[in-house]
Amino acid sequence: MPEIGISGDIIYTLLFISLYFEVFLLISFLERRAERFRPQGGGNGAGALPRVAIVIPCFNEERTLASTIESVLALRYPRELLEAIVVDDGSTDGTLKVAKQYEGREDVRIFHKENGGKHTALNLALAETTADLIGCLDADSTVGPDALMRIVPVFDNKDVSAVTPGIHVKNPKTMLQHVQDAEYNLSVFNRFMLAALGSAFITPGPFSIFRTQTVRDLGGWRHGHSTEDMEMALRMQAGGHLIANAPSATVHTSTPRTLPELFRQRVRWTYGFLRNALDYRFMLGNRAYGNLGLMILPLALVSVGAGIYFFIHVLWYWLERLYDLILRIQITGAFPHPSLDLFYINTSALWFLVYIAIALILVLICTGSWIGTGKRMPPVGTPLFILFYSFLTPLWLGTAVFRALFKTGVEWR
Amino acid sequence: MENPIVGARRADWRSYAVALVITTAIFATALYASNYFNERRIAEIRTTQDNISIDILSLETQFDLLAEHSCRDISENSVLSKEIRPLAERLSYLETQRSVDESELLRLKRYYSLLQIKDLLLMKKVATKCSLKPVFILYFYSNEGDCKDCENQGYALTALSEKYPQLRIYSFDYNLDISALQTLLSINDVENKLPALSINDKMYYGFRNIQDIEKVLPQLATLDKAASSTRKSAR
Repeated sequence: MPEIGISGDIIYTLLFISLYFEVFLLISFLERRAERFRPQGGGNGAGALPRVAIVIPCFNEERTLASTIESVLALRYPRELLEAIVVDDGSTDGTLKVAKQYEGREDVRIFHKENGGKHTALNLALAETTADLIGCLDADSTVGPDALMRIVPVFDNKDVSAVTPGIHVKNPKTMLQHVQDAEYNLSVFNRFMLAALGSAFITPGPFSIFRTQTVRDLGGWRHGHSTEDMEMALRMQAGGHLIANAPSATVHTSTPRTLPELFRQRVRWTYGFLRNALDYRFMLGNRAYGNLGLMILPLALVSVGAGIYFFIHVLWYWLERLYDLILRIQITGAFPHPSLDLFYINTSALWFLVYIAIALILVLICTGSWIGTGKRMPPVGTPLFILFYSFLTPLWLGTAVFRALFKTGVEWR
Repeated sequence: MENPIVGARRADWRSYAVALVITTAIFATALYASNYFNERRIAEIRTTQDNISIDILSLETQFDLLAEHSCRDISENSVLSKEIRPLAERLSYLETQRSVDESELLRLKRYYSLLQIKDLLLMKKVATKCSLKPVFILYFYSNEGDCKDCENQGYALTALSEKYPQLRIYSFDYNLDISALQTLLSINDVENKLPALSINDKMYYGFRNIQDIEKVLPQLATLDKAASSTRKSAR
């Protein structure tokens, strides 16, 4: 890649920041590994088990709802202490019909309301339940049987107000889903480390569990620019609540099968992040919010800009190369032979740094895989993730930035 | 698998500092490694240039010693033709590398230009004594951003030299501060209208494609034929 002049300096600066963040996360992880035998803040589960409500908000989820409910009912947890609350948010398909198959069960309650968005469905359940803990499980996700028992003991720590799980891709089939599988393993690591740093800023829809009273005190869920899970986490952080992570509490979620679906989902996520970051900008650079304010949120914002800049830079470089090649073929009438001379192997510092950054990402993915599933090998989609994902990401980053700037809003589907 | 984890809200200043030190060390290592490989490249070029210099000196000496007896050897022993193109390409490549020592690169380019001039003079001398008709092209370019056609001219000349391996193309950076080159520019009356080609002692300014050059240099056909006939006789 070209690396001369101001653009070269910007590339090096962004690369330094990216590497710094990866190194910081790894150091923090290794420090935690060194302290592994100290109490981690998780409870011992010796106390009486709390009552738990799992809310399944759904809108047109007739295909996946039954398996979601079944997975909740299959949770290893005392039946009398667990209830599933299915909230049909004005579905226009057979979602309500599927839900009503469970009508009459003591541990399942079903509500139907006009479509108002996921946060309204969650708030309806919040108003209806008397459980101590309330969790959300998106209707496209299924939960592992031990997940709840891995999460609930963490609440023995009175300072913990929410616990997030380890989220994995449900039955990856398409190439894109395998790529996302690798990405989700990276997210398992990131979520784990952000919790360790007291900096979690997302309580994902699939099976994050909250203290019911805390959510009520905070005023329930908000629209949060179509990312209520991020808004809630930031509001909890602003209120001084701790968010923990239990990576061994496994949840499997359906992921987009095609690029347009993935694009829509990620535009929504990135848009939500940008708008929420704007709403909670008082945290940025604020020491009072610790690592979240000083490091995590600022670097997350920088990563959006860096992704777009890298993409434009690389795209411009390849377009120039293509133009040169066409010109050269026109002039010489022949395709230039690629040189096999070792002299021309690119050994610029930039490439070394890119290789190191990629190697570190691979380490983080493997660590995420190990944290979440106990497997040390990365998922099969990892090479594709490393090769192509950085070229896909800027597409939705750019769109989301544009939409955030013009406050266009985003659709769920 | 890991235990559940939660961390209190705090700033990990120590981790920030350690990460900064490690990242800086990684950067320093990458820069050092890049620099090391570039130094090796420069050393490789320097060795090639030294070899060419020795070859030229050897030929000159051989020529002086044996006079006409050496004509056949000399005419068949094209000193620069095999090494000149890769050397020029390698120097051009190094110019695109950020971490290459500019003064060292400039020194190599000056040395390279001098070698070319020496080879040119020697070949002219050989041509006169041995009644040869070598075909030369002198190419003057600038890579200071003021010559948009220079890159294209370079492509055309590279293709031409691949087509006619016996063609001798000498390329000179017009802006290189070296007295021998300035003299060469002065002798050939080269104006600052680049790219410029000196073919058969006549100057051509602006981009010339392969066909243009073939048209003004009919001897190229002879070179081609000579190469073909050599191949035929070798069978």
